[in-house]
Amino acid sequence: MDHDDKEKGSPDWFAAWMKSAADLWLSAAKTRPASASNVSEGSQPSSASYHGKLEEGWQALLKTWQTSSSALSSPQILELILKGSNALPESAMRMARTTWDGYFQLYQIWLKGVGKLGEEAKAYSFEGLEADTFKGWAEFYEKEIQPFLKAPPLGLTRFNQERANEAIDKFNQFQVAMAEFLHLLGLPVEKSLRVIQEKIEEQAKEGKLSENFKDYYNMWIKILEGYYMTLFKSPEYIRVLGRTVNVTEEYKAARDKVLADMLQFLPVAMNRDVDELYKEFYELKKTVKELAKKFEKLESLNAREASHESA
Amino acid sequence: MNQPKISVDLILAKMAEDVEKSQKRILKSKEVLLGPLDTKIASTPHEIVYEEDRVKLKHYFPLAETRVKTPLLMVYALINRETMLDLQPGKSVVENLLKEGIDLYMIDWGYPTRKDRYQGIDDHVNGYLANIVDFVRHRHETPKINLMGICMGGSFCIMYSALHPEKVKNLITTVSPSNFDTDKGLLNIWAKAIDADLIADTHGNMPGDMLNMCFLLLNPARLMIDKYVGYFENVDDRMFVENFIRMEKWIFDSPDVPGEVMREFINDCYKKNLLIQSKMELRGKRVDLQNITMPVLNIYGRFDHLVPPEMCELLTSRVGSKDTEDMCIETGHIGIYVSGKCQKELAPKIARWLKERDGVERKDFAARPAKAEPKKETGPKSRPSPKRTQKVVTAGR
Repeated sequence: MDHDDKEKGSPDWFAAWMKSAADLWLSAAKTRPASASNVSEGSQPSSASYHGKLEEGWQALLKTWQTSSSALSSPQILELILKGSNALPESAMRMARTTWDGYFQLYQIWLKGVGKLGEEAKAYSFEGLEADTFKGWAEFYEKEIQPFLKAPPLGLTRFNQERANEAIDKFNQFQVAMAEFLHLLGLPVEKSLRVIQEKIEEQAKEGKLSENFKDYYNMWIKILEGYYMTLFKSPEYIRVLGRTVNVTEEYKAARDKVLADMLQFLPVAMNRDVDELYKEFYELKKTVKELAKKFEKLESLNAREASHESA
Repeated sequence: MNQPKISVDLILAKMAEDVEKSQKRILKSKEVLLGPLDTKIASTPHEIVYEEDRVKLKHYFPLAETRVKTPLLMVYALINRETMLDLQPGKSVVENLLKEGIDLYMIDWGYPTRKDRYQGIDDHVNGYLANIVDFVRHRHETPKINLMGICMGGSFCIMYSALHPEKVKNLITTVSPSNFDTDKGLLNIWAKAIDADLIADTHGNMPGDMLNMCFLLLNPARLMIDKYVGYFENVDDRMFVENFIRMEKWIFDSPDVPGEVMREFINDCYKKNLLIQSKMELRGKRVDLQNITMPVLNIYGRFDHLVPPEMCELLTSRVGSKDTEDMCIETGHIGIYVSGKCQKELAPKIARWLKERDGVERKDFAARPAKAEPKKETGPKSRPSPKRTQKVVTAGR
């Protein structure tokens, strides 16, 4: 059976399915009045009227289904529907292609980054190392995912949606920044282990190997410390640190807003309420303390004057 | 291929020996760790003589006859706790100063909570510190007291002394940052890279754990690995373990820092470097270092990686006082207070310096209720300070 045959044959099976579905629900509906009336016999009048309304609703729904199914069974409409479904694979392919392209771009960048792993590391240099991997992911995220989260939400809960999307967005950014930060922190360990291996090899060649394990540990910890000191002063680390702290704070703020949205239905005070109180309390306390000081000064002045007068 | 010129047998034998030693150590460590350990800190006897909100003032009971009549008020930083100055008997700056005959007070800043988030530097300097200074002045019926600041507490003391010079007889700053325009010290570099406003707005207060993490990251190789390797190597030594635990207790006892203080300290000091330029303002008043006319002793550590010498040594050249002394000790930020060698050096030096400048204040200082400020001080000032400027470098740990 070729594609055209399938198309020609489809209206029959679709119409048959629509009819059988309608029949099934209609026969089911016929059994309902008896059961509903059985229930209502021993029940309260209100319960009987409730079941009656339910019954009416059910019958109305079935009639709508019957009408729509018979309308959908007409050959013209069916043809229209199937035409649309034929176009689906094409759009699906297009979507898959776009996503694949995005991932492929990321994969390429990642491969480049991984390729650098094998390169000989410059001593005490951390700039540009494998940063492309994180940069690639950040770019991919910003281009392909973030716009969906920034799309304008609609309706009654639009602000809640906006805050929820922001929290997801910030969480993703936080994950990327933290991964990059932890990766940077791991680099000195990786590099120092490589250097210590080289040193041990050298010592072995020169016959200067120490039999004491602590000597190697001391050597390693000193190298590691040196690498960390260099890393911590590097512009790359300072950039990543600043970004990680900022993104962490932004994520926390966004998360707190979502939590506040959830908590507003509970009878609990939230940080913003308490902070307002604290602010007022702080200002009042400050004013009272200043006034108390002024009052004490006045009192002592009066006491002095009184003692002068009595003298 | 060249063969290693050391016998593999020798290495293996040494490893076996090490493993054997470790096993013995672990067995003995059980006795130490599960037995009674004296790890109490801040145990020098004292009483709380003043309280305001979360802030307390400790007054230590004398351990010797008073040799410096003017009381000394120690002001610790808002980061970590003042217990570092009194870690254990025999290794306590507090104890040593008391033995030198100094009448000693110390501020305990307490644990700021969310309600303290709006308190800024001004609230601490012109608020708590000013009230405490007044309290001590009235308690001792003296117009001036001696002030000693530690780290950030030293910066607060500099600010206070510039704003209220008439109440400070002598100023001692120890590892206190005043010049932030330097790229020495990682904290300096990092503080300039972070957004203090964002942290203060988000967290309210700067979480103590966040600060601790930051300090650990200053040297992870030593502070997160080597330190604990050292601990396990000595875990069978009771005294070592006790000292180690005391230090751990102090290090990780980190109160949150009020958000506004952190915001102002990073923005005004670290980023704009206003303090040393006499451009900082508190409650609308300029903190002019030229107003610091009392004698100044400025102590700092040569190997201090938190507050490097570059952050401290400019102070004496910027103050108005003619009697200044810089003392650079060959140690780090904490070593000044806890190392055995510095212990023997720091307290005697401070006591000696104070004794030399402990002139008699006017007698007619009106006794009045605590907390009240004197209307004005018209009596004779302390004896004129000798005009001298010194730079001393001493050896320490």
